[in-house]
Amino acid sequence: MESPTIFWGVIGWMVVWGVLGSILLRQRYLARDLDTSNANFVGAMSGAALGPVGVGLLWATTPKLSGRIIVGFGILAVVLIAAAFSFADPDNVCVSNGSFVASQISNGLIIGIIYGFMALGLTLIFSILGVVSFAHGEFYMIGGMLVYYITAVWLPGVNPLVGVMGACLVAFILGAAFERAMLTPMYKGKVDRPVEYGILATFGLAFTLQYFVQAIHGATPVKAQRFIDFPRIRWPEGADPLWIRTSRGNLTLFDTISISNPRFIAAITCILVLLALLYLLHRTWTGKALRAVSQDRDAAAIAGIDPNRMNMLAFALGGMIAALAGALLVQAFSWLPQVGAIPAMRSFVIVVLGGLGSLPGAFVGGILVGLVEAAGTGCVPDAQKAASYIPAYGMIVLTLTLLLRPTGLFGRRFASGTHGQF
Amino acid sequence: MRQIPNIAGVLLLAFFAAFPLVYQGTNYDYVMHVLITAFFYAILASSWSMLAGYAGQFSFGHMAFMGIGAYTTALFCHYFYITSEPTGICREFAFFGNWFVIVNPIGVTSTTLSQDCLRQAMAAWDGSVTVTRMPVLIGIILGTLMGGLAGVLVGLLVLRLRAAYLALFTLGFSEIIKAVISAEIDITRGQAGMELPALFEDGVTVFGRTFEATDKIPPYYAMFGLLILCLAVLTWLARSKFGLFVRALREDQDAAAALGVNTTRYKVYVFTITTAMAAAAGAVQAHYVGIVTPNMLFLLQMSLVVAMAVIGGIENFVAAALGAIFLQIMLEVLRTSFTIGGIEVDMSTWRLVFFGLLLMITLRFFRNGLIAPIINVFRRSGVAKETVAKRQAGRTA
Amino acid sequence: MIHLKVTNLQKRFGGNHVLKGITYEINGPELIGVLGPNGAGKTTMTNILDGAIKPTSGTVYLNDQRIDQLHPFEVARAGLGRTFQVTRSFRRMTVLENLFVPALALGHMAQGPALHAKAEEVLAFLTIDHLRNEYAQALSGGQQKLLELGRLMMLDPDVIILDEPFAGVHPTLMEVIYATIRRMKHEGKAIVLISHQMDAIFSLSERLLVLNFGELIADGKPDAVKNDPAVIEAYLGTEEDAA
Repeated sequence: MESPTIFWGVIGWMVVWGVLGSILLRQRYLARDLDTSNANFVGAMSGAALGPVGVGLLWATTPKLSGRIIVGFGILAVVLIAAAFSFADPDNVCVSNGSFVASQISNGLIIGIIYGFMALGLTLIFSILGVVSFAHGEFYMIGGMLVYYITAVWLPGVNPLVGVMGACLVAFILGAAFERAMLTPMYKGKVDRPVEYGILATFGLAFTLQYFVQAIHGATPVKAQRFIDFPRIRWPEGADPLWIRTSRGNLTLFDTISISNPRFIAAITCILVLLALLYLLHRTWTGKALRAVSQDRDAAAIAGIDPNRMNMLAFALGGMIAALAGALLVQAFSWLPQVGAIPAMRSFVIVVLGGLGSLPGAFVGGILVGLVEAAGTGCVPDAQKAASYIPAYGMIVLTLTLLLRPTGLFGRRFASGTHGQF
Repeated sequence: MRQIPNIAGVLLLAFFAAFPLVYQGTNYDYVMHVLITAFFYAILASSWSMLAGYAGQFSFGHMAFMGIGAYTTALFCHYFYITSEPTGICREFAFFGNWFVIVNPIGVTSTTLSQDCLRQAMAAWDGSVTVTRMPVLIGIILGTLMGGLAGVLVGLLVLRLRAAYLALFTLGFSEIIKAVISAEIDITRGQAGMELPALFEDGVTVFGRTFEATDKIPPYYAMFGLLILCLAVLTWLARSKFGLFVRALREDQDAAAALGVNTTRYKVYVFTITTAMAAAAGAVQAHYVGIVTPNMLFLLQMSLVVAMAVIGGIENFVAAALGAIFLQIMLEVLRTSFTIGGIEVDMSTWRLVFFGLLLMITLRFFRNGLIAPIINVFRRSGVAKETVAKRQAGRTA
Repeated sequence: MIHLKVTNLQKRFGGNHVLKGITYEINGPELIGVLGPNGAGKTTMTNILDGAIKPTSGTVYLNDQRIDQLHPFEVARAGLGRTFQVTRSFRRMTVLENLFVPALALGHMAQGPALHAKAEEVLAFLTIDHLRNEYAQALSGGQQKLLELGRLMMLDPDVIILDEPFAGVHPTLMEVIYATIRRMKHEGKAIVLISHQMDAIFSLSERLLVLNFGELIADGKPDAVKNDPAVIEAYLGTEEDAA
């Protein structure tokens, strides 16, 4: 970095004012007896984005803190960081090379969609059961493993769709069985601290699954074949540069952005399944019942919904979603029994950022995390350090969100029982 | 009846205290190593059970505090030396007639490891100047303090967080610590790990018997002593009003506050004390093993501690410690692979599968663990009888 | 001399004006009933007195010490104790341990025979001494109410707020609760009794406060309050309509 003092100076300035703004505005909103649920967060954002001006403005006017203000200040803060970075380090590829930036963004977007999809499963489980599933990464792992075993070992040459379907089915059954066998005491008041019990139980499942797969499979990495090849496309014909060009394993847009086939297929499938899931949740009786249980267990029970059935369904669906993400990505990454740890951690970050229990929050959070990760890998000058720090970035976001705004960006407080506690 | 657990405890203590002196097997060093590791896990499991079982703070960052303890002493012993002459090339200060030398960062490659400024100066002196390491004990104490300090910070930050949110926060904290240690390669050597001096580098002589640095008996008693110390402190705390208050905190924070318990203070206390214990265990273990790597902060290690505490009995730290010792020994016993019908069963992995299954079964069917209920049977023997007898006495009177 | 002074207590939750300026004083040992339909602000008032939430404006003084900005535990130490609408015993602690918590938290007693003797005395008075070593979760609902009262007796505050002490209590235990309240009164404490059970309130209280929509609409002797037209309209009237 050419002049790191500028960059770190700006960062330091933002942090100081962010902390100050967060504390001051909370006090101010408390004193004026307004809704303080957003004050910490908006205070931090305004301080970071505009320093004393932002904090002072809010202090003086104390407006109703809507989502628009939050997003506005958030974007401003990000722009400020980007500007400081490009001033401090004008020769960095992220500043000087536009096509590199474009391809980083599109890759970040694609991986973000997949992350968001996986986090969706976690948030679904949380919104119904009130439990953070620590076995989410292991569902992801067995999803990929099953696709590999079905398509390459047990039934070589079979259509990959069969593999994906099989993986989903197994994960669904496993999730349902685990929920029935292990989590049922949670709902009947048989355990003293149900949420902690659920966390420990999924923790145990994660441990068992991971070593079970390792014991059976061993520690050799595997990779599945590409599911489908792209058809050869050159479009528009004769133009220079071509807008879209494909080879079998790659897709190139505007001759600059290159997207690999497996990731593209995975992202597209995730979007399709997401749409199907939204349909299920909003248009079918089962889905409506699920949402009803997540909002108020007791009221749903009175309305004739069996919350325990919904618990099973939610856990099984959540596990299946993770397994599907794994099944789609096994063609892109090499697969090991430990492969679930990183996406699981990402999912934790995403669901907390988006708001535990919020479905749109999970998706937006996923895309944000994907973009930040792309920026983190591409732009930070010391590549080796950057690679080691990537997990930390996410976790810093997670811890900060929990401290400043435990409900996350889109979160809401849960109506019923243990679910509302934090 | 109620004294039986105490008698059993004393017998067990006597057994472990006498074991290294009596045992004569050919695999002596290996058995000692297993037991030292078992004691290490016992400290972690019992302090975690105080935090999670007594105070209800389900932290998944216990290993991070352990790592803070281990790395503090590792950095301390690696970077600070005392020499009788100034090196002239290191950063150094006058220190009671000697020189306090701070070695420059190691860097990544193995050549820089052996060519820091002090090594260069020593090569030039050619043995004419005495160079003293920092005492290991001070490193361990510093590590414990750092762990406790981190515990204060985390305890203050998580005051408002409960259940799932607390678990995620502490997990996040743990991952941040791990990432920082892995990433700051020029200071910590990242994944390569840092080497530490042995616990008793110059050997010790006790009762006329001299032990080498590699002998297992001194670290055995050091770790055993630390375990006893931790258990004694925990017992004292649990029996004092501290134990009463943190349990009230676990049961109902608002009700405890309404009855005059300063919930904030006791929450921070319990974090500080248990994390300091984890850090102390980490520091001693680091010196015993001789190397620290960020891998010891993996979630797997945390899973082991959690599983040990749960299987022993999460609401009884003695049971948690016993569970840890028992399971660590079992894990070693089960390590040998065998062959059934031509298929080799790799027990080094399968034993962990059984371990996970045992954890789940314990959680599901033995909510208080496997060892704690046995203790409770004796401890609370006669309570029900007493209740009935008292009621009947009340009726007739 | 006990002196609780509540001045112009207001509380807003966003746009919801829950308490609209409550003012009253309690001097010396008194048994005060608080009535009010659901949503009248009884629970909010209790939570403010207890320190669990801060008032928007107004002050609370207890024995000349301002307590409305203190934490709940400081309020408890200043001499104001409360029970909860839903029983909140420490479920997995024994009955004796439940009683030890407030006595030790206040610091005026240390662990030892004196503490045990005091706890035994309280348990005997509450007729649950045979349960002393049982976990609180093994107790019936009524016994848990008694245990909560026992904790307050151990806390020994000047002002006691009892939030629905009779809800879901077996009639035989009701007598014990009555006796306990009278004993507390006899020991010179001011007792604020919040309950939906009219007969209990009217038979016990010496003075009644009636809340409606966050306002104090009546304050006086039970007989006078009973005939207050505002009260009849706001509260008792609806009862009679329903009956």
